[in-house]
Amino acid sequence: MQIREEKEGDVLIVSVDDRLDSFTSDEFENLLLQRIESGQRFFLLDWTKLDYVNSAGLKALLLAAKKLDPVKGQIILCGLATNVQMVFDLTGFHHLFTLKPDRAAALECFRERG
Amino acid sequence: LNAPDFPCACFACAQNHAMHRGSITIACKNDPAETERLQQKICRFCELHEIPSRAIHALDLALDELLTNILHYAYSDKATHEITVRVEAEPELLNAWIEDDGKAFNPLEISPVDITRPLAEREVGGLGIHLVRSLMNRIDYERANGKNVLTLQKMLTRNK
Repeated sequence: MQIREEKEGDVLIVSVDDRLDSFTSDEFENLLLQRIESGQRFFLLDWTKLDYVNSAGLKALLLAAKKLDPVKGQIILCGLATNVQMVFDLTGFHHLFTLKPDRAAALECFRERG
Repeated sequence: LNAPDFPCACFACAQNHAMHRGSITIACKNDPAETERLQQKICRFCELHEIPSRAIHALDLALDELLTNILHYAYSDKATHEITVRVEAEPELLNAWIEDDGKAFNPLEISPVDITRPLAEREVGGLGIHLVRSLMNRIDYERANGKNVLTLQKMLTRNK
């Protein structure tokens, strides 16, 4: 797994490549929770190059979303591969998170919210 | 795990035979690196048997969730244990067995996750077993001779 961070205005873009599984999701979870702790509120998770996610990755995402909810933060995901989208559909995560096809659409969604 | 071994027919079949019958049995130790190797072998087996990619992903993910659970919760000692996985491919069906000698654990007794709940009411745990249940068509659990034996069944749909 490889994680990259970029800032676009007040949105932190976090790209995650390869696999988000029981070996790698701790690093992803810690990063999100640390950024939330230090005041980051808007996250765009670019999962275009992510091939695989299991329940450990979902748990990281859910924990972060639960922390962001009371402080009016938001996570938008983009570029979900078919296998990843299927996992979201099966767990109802597609109702919990805003999913966009690509970065541009996701950033547009943040802008519309002001 | 005492079912007879079918000879793997994947190289003997006529070329137009879309899916092949065969089986693989792999034993590994309760070590994350070993279970990763096991998953890779099973994926390769499924590819050789031309299992549709969606079904391969479903089996791979289900095994990942179940093996992760075994590694985390099944053993309270530091000893080496053996986990055995067997997969059988049939023309329209995948069968898998997972056997471990850890604590008795029936995943079917875990309460189902209500995926319609809003964020604030969503439980963080239980998603792994929920995924296994959603991905497979049938799951059976048996505790026999001090071992957990979980049987999974996945129907195969062509072109999926």
